[in-house]
Amino acid sequence: MTAETKPNADIEALSYEEAREQLVGIVTRLETGGASLEESLALWERGEALAKRCEQWLEGARKRLAAARDQPSQAG
Amino acid sequence: MSEEVAAATTLPATAAETSPDNPWPLQLLSQKLKMHIDRAPSAWVEGQVIELNRRGTNAYLTLRDIDAEISLPASAWTKVLDRQEIPLERGSRVVALLKAEFWLKTGRLNMSVKDIRPVGLGDLLARIERLRHALAAEGLFSDARKKRLPLLPHRIGLITGRNSDAKKDVLRNAALRWPAVEFEIREVAVQGNTAVAQVIAALRELDAHPEVDVIVIARGGGALEDLLPFSSEELIRAVSGASTPVVSAIGHEADRPILDDVADLRASTPTDAAKRIVPDVVEELARVRQARDQLRRGVTRLVEREADRLASLRSRPVLASPEVMVSSRHDDVERLKGRAQAAVTTAVVRAADQLAHLKAQVRALSPQKTLDRGYAVVQLADGHPAPGTRRDVVRHPDQAPSGTPLTVRVAGGRFTAESTGGQEPAEE
Repeated sequence: MTAETKPNADIEALSYEEAREQLVGIVTRLETGGASLEESLALWERGEALAKRCEQWLEGARKRLAAARDQPSQAG
Repeated sequence: MSEEVAAATTLPATAAETSPDNPWPLQLLSQKLKMHIDRAPSAWVEGQVIELNRRGTNAYLTLRDIDAEISLPASAWTKVLDRQEIPLERGSRVVALLKAEFWLKTGRLNMSVKDIRPVGLGDLLARIERLRHALAAEGLFSDARKKRLPLLPHRIGLITGRNSDAKKDVLRNAALRWPAVEFEIREVAVQGNTAVAQVIAALRELDAHPEVDVIVIARGGGALEDLLPFSSEELIRAVSGASTPVVSAIGHEADRPILDDVADLRASTPTDAAKRIVPDVVEELARVRQARDQLRRGVTRLVEREADRLASLRSRPVLASPEVMVSSRHDDVERLKGRAQAAVTTAVVRAADQLAHLKAQVRALSPQKTLDRGYAVVQLADGHPAPGTRRDVVRHPDQAPSGTPLTVRVAGGRFTAESTGGQEPAEE
């Protein structure tokens, strides 16, 4: 199923908000139903990729906060 | 002793027209000078008596400007001087009516004092108040002109007396609040007649200095005369025109030089000024730390909230249990299977019903019942007929003469018979 990984390559470039918005959209589509099995599978895979991207963003944010916390006297 | 100058003459009419080859006679120049000087009106001037010598009926004095290094010798009749109740002496501040006089013979210019009076404290105070009102009316003291002081000045300009307590107070109190504070100091005369010029010069220098963003003019307490320079109109206008904010810290709380009104901030003493131009660094650091904590907490909250939202999105069944998309379809198929089976079963059952129904009908139509009632069906039996051929049913005795092979079907089955030929009358 190599054809499926291509459409999700754009996720790497998305901002946190963009990824989250798309994820919400996908969840809504899946919950509304009506998609074919093929589509549902593709949607779910993209949803997983988007969720992973969001997690990466949040992890990065946490790390930056922790780094700033550990250097209180540096950088005005 | 003026002499008329002859109108018709070869002499140059104006000084500009004179030349080495065509000069005026000296007396003409002297006469013209005298005319000019005699015409000059007398004027009331204010100054300070810095020399005073009496010789008989004459007195010779030297007057000096209050704020500038400009002086003028003058002479007066002693009786003019003595008109005053308060004796005039060296150092007195006076107002004098002066008239310029020119002695033709000797070419001497003399300022003659026609009248002279000392300027008392009351006069000075009144003069200051008049000036204050006039400048206020011009709008120099309005709030709109007041500039805000910087919270944390790059450098503080300080104009103060040499080795004065005022200077020490400002520096020490500022450093207590903010150890890293930097000053640009100009030590000047803060009283006497050189004060105004020196303060203005220092002010202009500091105003032009690129790093100085606030200027403090400070001096300690003193007598009214000592503080007079800080009510001088020239100084007030200079401060009003400065682009850097100026803080006035003159004397004590009770002193009110006009500088207080024109300054962007009035401090009651040099110590007070130090407290107001510099923030308390310890306090500020605490506030910054607090702000940073709030900032950090706010951002952390945001990140955690987003993490929660993400977790809740991920826990939605469509993402967390995607196999539903398969199992739901599987259920669909199962359901359809069931329906199909049910439909088929129903059809079979119905067909079976139909069959039974038909069987019953057939049975109903069959002669078995009649046979059961005791009737028999006699048929001709001829040898071995092909299966499926119809045997003739005997309805008439003529069909079965004696010896005819017959098969008889009765309710219980079939048997063979042979006709014996005897006829019996038909039943009525």
